[in-house]
Amino acid sequence: MFLLEELLSRLVLLTALPAGIGVVISATLLVVSRDWRLNVFALAAQYFFLTLSMTQVVRVEMAAVKGLIGWVICLVFYMTEQQAQSSGQTGESTEDVALESWFGARLRLWRHEGISAQAAFSFLAALLVGAAIYAGASAISLPELPTDLSLICYYLTAVGILLLGLSQDPLRVGVGLLTILSGFDLFYVALEPSLVVTGLVGSISFVVALGTAYLKAALAVGTEETPA
Amino acid sequence: MIAGLLLFLVLPLVMGGTVYALRRWATLSALLSVGMSVALGLMILVLPLGRTIEIWGRQIVMGGTLSFLGRELILEDVDRVAMAFLYLTASGTFLLAWQTSPGSLLFPVGFGVLSLFSGSLLIRPLIYAVLLFEIAVAISVFGLQAEGGRPGKGALQYLSFSLLGMPGLLVIHWLMDRYALTPDNTGLRDTAAGLLALSFMLLMGGTPFHWWMPAVADDGEPMAGAFAFSVNHAAVWFLLLGFLETYPDIAAYGRFGPLVAGVGLAMIGVGGVLAAAQRRPGRILGYAVLADSGAALVALGLSSEAGLALALLCILSRPFGVLLMAAGIRGLKDRRRDLGWRAGSARGLVTEAPWSTLAFLIGGLSIAGLPITAGFAARWSLYRGLGRAGLVAVLLMMAASLGVMIGVWRVLSVVMAEWEPEDVKRGELGRVEREGWARGTVVLVGVVACVVVGLVPQALAPTASRLAGLYTFLVR
Repeated sequence: MFLLEELLSRLVLLTALPAGIGVVISATLLVVSRDWRLNVFALAAQYFFLTLSMTQVVRVEMAAVKGLIGWVICLVFYMTEQQAQSSGQTGESTEDVALESWFGARLRLWRHEGISAQAAFSFLAALLVGAAIYAGASAISLPELPTDLSLICYYLTAVGILLLGLSQDPLRVGVGLLTILSGFDLFYVALEPSLVVTGLVGSISFVVALGTAYLKAALAVGTEETPA
Repeated sequence: MIAGLLLFLVLPLVMGGTVYALRRWATLSALLSVGMSVALGLMILVLPLGRTIEIWGRQIVMGGTLSFLGRELILEDVDRVAMAFLYLTASGTFLLAWQTSPGSLLFPVGFGVLSLFSGSLLIRPLIYAVLLFEIAVAISVFGLQAEGGRPGKGALQYLSFSLLGMPGLLVIHWLMDRYALTPDNTGLRDTAAGLLALSFMLLMGGTPFHWWMPAVADDGEPMAGAFAFSVNHAAVWFLLLGFLETYPDIAAYGRFGPLVAGVGLAMIGVGGVLAAAQRRPGRILGYAVLADSGAALVALGLSSEAGLALALLCILSRPFGVLLMAAGIRGLKDRRRDLGWRAGSARGLVTEAPWSTLAFLIGGLSIAGLPITAGFAARWSLYRGLGRAGLVAVLLMMAASLGVMIGVWRVLSVVMAEWEPEDVKRGELGRVEREGWARGTVVLVGVVACVVVGLVPQALAPTASRLAGLYTFLVR
């Protein structure tokens, strides 16, 4: 915990614009990508940049607690997805793949086949949502929060709702809910910087992650047992 | 000396762990669950407030204020009735689930949810109540997913809509604190009222956020769905009333009554029409509950103590119909082969599952608000309460009752039809053994309770009136 706080305090230079851009990019990646590994990575990155952004309004320790909860959630999602894949839910290979070769394979796929229609649509939707928020956020500014953080709150909430609308997969819905919760948390932590509230909101995030992971596991088991 | 309040937070958790460990012995865990929930429900009603009593050599003091993690837990009369209702309703659910869904996760999850709801009712300020409530809803997902079954949309949608309702409720606290400092700034109060309406529409499944209700009842574990519709829904109501009691300025807001009544009427209309169009019993249950919730909101929209009493009567009488109907659905689902409720797979089920059919019928009558059932007592009182001024609402409610009964009849017409030779050829006949005496006894207990409350409305009406009298936000 001490190391994390120290690390975060050294990264304080990143708390303003770079962290905001990081949150926006990682949230957009969550909408666009259908690759579970990339999504878990994006979610972890989102929590990291969100933690940095939060240090503008709360103490570093409290932001660090939220970041830690987020990363534990990423771990839960990673393990669940891996379990679902090994149950043969999507028919993807379950062999261990080196990170380098996995990225290489992705790059080759994008180079040869381009971006899928679904990814292009999701990206366009995220872009439109982002533009609408950029235009409208100044009209309804959030109290006790700087403008850039207000924009991040709105964007995360909108992207979360987009994720809920675009997917029926339990884990993607879970990621959507957690993204909404993260956006709200960034706002609410400025209004109510209490440790008990932080703990309870963290508990909600964690139970939501467990619940959606449970549904994903049930889906994987159900698919495995259903005869072809 | 033991603080009595803590018992209602800790004992359910302990019992949840115990029944989870005893899941293999389904009867034992179910009966333990029933016993403990009845005991806790009666204890909260019977134990005197502020006095020390001795149970098994331990001194227990009920009431007063208790500090827990730096927050206050306060037991008031309102909370006593509310908690007793939640525990006793849960005991009814556990009793029916003993025969319909033995060994399911409903038992341990139910206790976890009860503990959190108790905390939610007791804790102050209300933001902590909202947070505990949301944790309870998120935990409910584990019970809603039928074990061994594919996950449907219901649990996810329920979780999503409930979670979307949380931010607004948390912000209300901040807005009303600001409004108390600057009463001239009525925009703060108006925003809070708008957020309250939107948040509770999401939590209650108010139209157009009602999708999760038929989904929860149809594709998940029916008894867990019934738990959500009776216990969780009641907790939402008590949370709403808690907000109105804490912030009476919102209740006094001029547009509050018409807004609530308008949402209620929309729910009644949508619930009634869509229930009539369904063939799947779970979806009929979901839409029937939607219409019933709408009726309760119409009563609250009267903005009077009598209206509040009628709304509470609707809430108190709902479990009789919902639990019976869900038990019937569970029993019928056990005995059909395909998932689509095609006529062939469900035809003639009445001979195999007479008790489940009876439970489905009586539950359906009750939730539709038809005579000799518990639901009728509440609905009839509401018709009288609305009087001539609310003639349109009364007619709409009657039409919704008809819609629900059309849906129930559509299912019954298949279930009660005779087998046809092609069903045998297709191998669509389910198991042929009949339901046992234990299930019959449990269903009969439920049916008798439902009919007795219908015939003797004095069993519930005074409790609803007394509870309404304890809330003061309408008389300020």
